[in-house]
Amino acid sequence: MGIKSFSRARAIHVMLVYTGGCNGCDIEIVNSILSPRFDAEQYKVFLTWNPREADVLVVTGPVTHLNRKPLEKIYDAIPNPKLVVAAGSCALMGGVYKNCFADIPSEEIEGPVENIIPVDAKVPGCAVRPQDVLAGVVSLLPTLLDAD
Amino acid sequence: MDEKVPRSKIIETEIPMGTVHPAALEPYRVRLFVEDEIVQEAEITIGVNHRGIERIMEGLPVEKANALTEKICGICSNAHIWNSCRTAEIGWDIEIPERAVYIRVIMGELERLHSHFLYLAHGCEVLAHETFSMRIFYMREIVMELLAMIGGNRVQYGCSVLGGVRPRCDLDDKRIQRIKDDLDKLEEELTNFAERFTADSILLSRVTGIGVIPQKQALKLAVTGPTLRATGVARDLRTTMFEYDNFDFNVITQPDGDVKSNLLMRALESFESIKIIRQAIANIPEGKVVNKAWDMFDTDIVESYIEVPRGTLYHSYALESGRVRHSVIRTPSMSNIGAMQYACIGDQITDAQLCIVQCDPCFTCSDRAIEIIRR
Amino acid sequence: MSIIYSILTVIITVLICFIISTLLPGIERKYVHARIQQRIGPPVTTPGIMAPLKFMFKENVEVSSPVPSLYKVLPIICFIVVTCILVALTPQAYKIPALASLVAIVGFLKVEEICYVLMGALSKSVMSVKMPFPDLVKGAEHINATRSFIEDISARRSLRMITYGSFPLYLSLFAPVTAARSIFLSDIVTYQQTHGPFLFTVAGGLAAIVFFIGYMIILNEYPFSIIKAKSDVIEGPYMEYASKYRAIVYITRGFFMFVLGAIFSVLFIGIPPNIFSWGILLNIGVALIFVFMMGIFSAFTPVFTNRQLLPTILSSTLLGILAVILGLL
Repeated sequence: MGIKSFSRARAIHVMLVYTGGCNGCDIEIVNSILSPRFDAEQYKVFLTWNPREADVLVVTGPVTHLNRKPLEKIYDAIPNPKLVVAAGSCALMGGVYKNCFADIPSEEIEGPVENIIPVDAKVPGCAVRPQDVLAGVVSLLPTLLDAD
Repeated sequence: MDEKVPRSKIIETEIPMGTVHPAALEPYRVRLFVEDEIVQEAEITIGVNHRGIERIMEGLPVEKANALTEKICGICSNAHIWNSCRTAEIGWDIEIPERAVYIRVIMGELERLHSHFLYLAHGCEVLAHETFSMRIFYMREIVMELLAMIGGNRVQYGCSVLGGVRPRCDLDDKRIQRIKDDLDKLEEELTNFAERFTADSILLSRVTGIGVIPQKQALKLAVTGPTLRATGVARDLRTTMFEYDNFDFNVITQPDGDVKSNLLMRALESFESIKIIRQAIANIPEGKVVNKAWDMFDTDIVESYIEVPRGTLYHSYALESGRVRHSVIRTPSMSNIGAMQYACIGDQITDAQLCIVQCDPCFTCSDRAIEIIRR
Repeated sequence: MSIIYSILTVIITVLICFIISTLLPGIERKYVHARIQQRIGPPVTTPGIMAPLKFMFKENVEVSSPVPSLYKVLPIICFIVVTCILVALTPQAYKIPALASLVAIVGFLKVEEICYVLMGALSKSVMSVKMPFPDLVKGAEHINATRSFIEDISARRSLRMITYGSFPLYLSLFAPVTAARSIFLSDIVTYQQTHGPFLFTVAGGLAAIVFFIGYMIILNEYPFSIIKAKSDVIEGPYMEYASKYRAIVYITRGFFMFVLGAIFSVLFIGIPPNIFSWGILLNIGVALIFVFMMGIFSAFTPVFTNRQLLPTILSSTLLGILAVILGLL
């Protein structure tokens, strides 16, 4: 293992972008990072709010119309290599908000996140459990380590 | 304190924050109009979260609509499904078993605990007091585990159903014992924390007199819930709800309406919640938890108000052959937005987010609003 | 020959100090903050060593700034300035007239502070005005307001910090001068080696407290982190740094912690950092004690706004003046 992957495995900066879900996932993720119970820092995962610092972008919510452009901008601001974790059923497939009208999806919802930015890992759950989020971020490690 | 008047003259600098910001747990935009680091006017723009829940509810079978209301908000999810079921129960005159009422109250109060702890933790985080924030999040985990034990999920529990509660949420002796033990632990930790908090002069000097909402102004802005009670108005819908008839609790008020009052308000209210849950598990009656004997018929618009952790929640819809029509939901944060904008005036920019947080914002709840402008 | 020998000594001293300094942020995070917060916390090497290394290997993005080249150069200037302070503190450098006096150190610290102002003014991050959000239709009462980036506030705050925020630090730096009656570092050191450390006099004790407050202010640590308070300006001046430049920002912080500790041990205890004497252990010890004390302080305090900052700085300035007067008497 080169020094590049060695250092990457030991410092992962996660940025959270909420795009208009029900708030449950956001709180669970912030909780998983901030609470001493789950304490993401012991797995070398840090929460940051600055896109320039982030490696992994965690996106929750179905991406409402007004949130599309901010999400794209923030994604563009992250320097490579960057990875995206879509957390929660809304981010994976639009959740109850998008799929309620059977074949006619809701116009308010631009999501799922895949439609807007490339997604590398998907964490299911409504709401996601903190453990799952951590597992999702950690499961990205091989991809992150091999990236240029 | 006198009324604070927003400055109407042209202000030079505007600072927009959001939609993604570390001090906010959900997307919204706030524009601060500042002069020399003092906020002169604040403007909160919501609508970022608009998903059109009421529109989706239109024409859904009422059971499905109830489940959908839970997805309005990840913090007070139980309150929404409770009130939605309650609306249909009022409309169809469904008798709810006594035991189900007790379980609903227990869930409601546990949710109030978790919401208030989240408020405290988030408040401390915005104050940049990481240690206190972590300690409260640790206490909150006790409540989350209890909620997960009863409802089966950490956030969306889906406890209430039409005519009672889900059989999954019934409480057996083992669960009651666990609630008892955990509440003792929680009360002890909360007491320690409250003592530690009120003895911390640096923290108190930081929050006293910040984001004041005078009582007169609060009533004018139609503030609800703990934010209103923190300005000295003893108005709590729980005193009028039939669910709480058998319970003995105090309506807590605080005098000042600033961040300190609001923080203390939540901490003291948590003790009352613990008291209510203790009474509920001590006196919980035997019997079935769900009443399935009810008829469907068309109704006029039915309304229901309940007190949720953040204030007064209003659900109303008409029922037409078992389907929901004309659904309207009014959440507490909707009426508190005025107070949030108002509280920022006259404080430092660093405190602006704190002033918004002190009103317990939940914009995911509120993003269904139509603004009516009278001309 | 002796010049080459001296230069080599200085280089080795700086290198060793630099290596030790990379551990300091990790020690603060793991052994102080995490311990107080009752959690495990990150490994010691992560915040100070692994995170900068990781940023080294990230893509070098185009920063959004009106003058990108100047903005990118600033952290390098900061790092060089901090290295220069350490060089000036080593006993071998006392012979260089430009670096020999306390004025040089004060000058370097001022450069560091001015860098924060420039960083804040030049950073134009995506997180405030540039966030694409259609809200201009509202706010009709204030139509002509200039839309300001959050970093601009932070630049304005660092300007304020230059004008009054750093008074305590500079006052406490000049307190030992009153005892030694000379602004030359060599005189201060020799005075303390004959008369005992300045720290253990009344004036020295007061000045040490003032120095500690100044130390936290210049490091922008909580509670004095108003220029990068998370509740409004997120990361303030550092918002736009990515990849290598962010790595330098990270490294500089740890190094600056160590160097400030070294300044304290030179001025208050009289032991300059020199790799060939046991005194360097004391330098390391002082740096560690300061990091621990700062960690404990910052873990138990919220961020101060201007409202709390002014009285704190005013009272510590008065304390500093008292220390100087006591020293003169």
